Amino acid sequence: MTDSPTRPPVRQALDLSPAVPAAGARRPKRKKRLRNWLTIGVFTLALVAILFQALTSARVYFYNVDEAVRDREAIGSTTFRIQGTVVTEPQTDAQGVISFIIAFNDVETRVRHIGDEPTDLFELGMPVVAEGRWDGAEFESSQLLIKHSETYVEDNGDRPAVGDGTYEVEPE
Amino acid sequence: MTSSGVGLKFIATPLHTGSTGSRALGVLTLLAVGALLLFALVLSPPEISQGDAVRLFYVHVPSAIVSLYVAFGITLLGSVIYLRKQSVFWDLMAGAAAEVGVVFLGFTLLSGMLWGKPTWGTYWQWDPRQTSTAVSFVLYLGYLAVRKLDMDPTARSRRAAFLGIVSFFNLFIVRFSVQWWRGLHQGTTLNPLDMQMANIMLFTFFLGLLTMTLIFFWLLLHRFRVAWLEHQLAEISLEAAIAERRDEDDPGSSPALAAKGIS
Repeated sequence: MTDSPTRPPVRQALDLSPAVPAAGARRPKRKKRLRNWLTIGVFTLALVAILFQALTSARVYFYNVDEAVRDREAIGSTTFRIQGTVVTEPQTDAQGVISFIIAFNDVETRVRHIGDEPTDLFELGMPVVAEGRWDGAEFESSQLLIKHSETYVEDNGDRPAVGDGTYEVEPE
Repeated sequence: MTSSGVGLKFIATPLHTGSTGSRALGVLTLLAVGALLLFALVLSPPEISQGDAVRLFYVHVPSAIVSLYVAFGITLLGSVIYLRKQSVFWDLMAGAAAEVGVVFLGFTLLSGMLWGKPTWGTYWQWDPRQTSTAVSFVLYLGYLAVRKLDMDPTARSRRAAFLGIVSFFNLFIVRFSVQWWRGLHQGTTLNPLDMQMANIMLFTFFLGLLTMTLIFFWLLLHRFRVAWLEHQLAEISLEAAIAERRDEDDPGSSPALAAKGIS
């Protein structure tokens, strides 16, 4: 720790006002204030933008399968996200369309995914979040995201690679 | 305004940021980084469904914990003490912790995005956990911006301290976002009552936490010392300016200037 800097002996009340007041001295102060407000404004705008994006996105964040099936008529052809666990082995046809059934709370629906290929984690037993819309009784998905669980299991090489080890699923 | 820190003045050094203690901490940190690399990349097994992508867990989660709880916790503590005692030490400590914490939180967001692509299938979703973390990141960037505002230093430190306290409350939203809202982010793995990870994977996680903590404190120590030295320099410059000004009225009468060799 440094010693405190030596203070000059106080002989009289210190007058620190400028010896010669600068002409137009108010301008730099206004500039300073403007710069400060601009800085605050930029960060406030960034926060508002993030919250706006999140809230408008969250409106469709996801329905579970049972809720989506129950509210099918109300949802209509609106784009939304649906969550469920893959309960049948996914099948890919010649056009690259992936078909499978997802379930939640014992309610099932068939999903036809037409879009980017999902990650390697996509398989029977994994929970997925699909974004798309109802096409009759089926869900047509354009984006398929994998929702891995919070459980981490070591891969010892001698276990069946079904799901993440936390979902008991009987293959069809 | 007082410069006193509550019994922690030994952290500030006079002329440079290094010391025997900081060098020992640096060596320990390097050893921990080496051990983490060995365990995270070589000795720990792949995860049954994620495969090797799980290795990001060992840096992503520790950096999140260190930034959100350790770094911003110190910022909260420093801000509270500053408001109570006007201690420059704690004001600078709060700022230094926030600065290093923002770097760690940025790394958390980045490693999370890199992990999200091979597992979820996307770098970014407006998932509640991701969004609340991004809000924290912007809040603390804002806190750092307030610390740089061009205004009276005392008023600036007071405003920064208020923001340092208010920003901490968002961390509760980050923490509980996976329970309060539906999202893509997984739930809590490291629940002391119900651990969702075991054996070498759990050990590697704790090694990651230790390593990130050591890196954080090493960076914090140096960043704080730089801030402290800047503060000392500013004080000396102010004293010199005052003495110089007095000298204008009464030339040659400033012992302070003479003592500092300023003419």
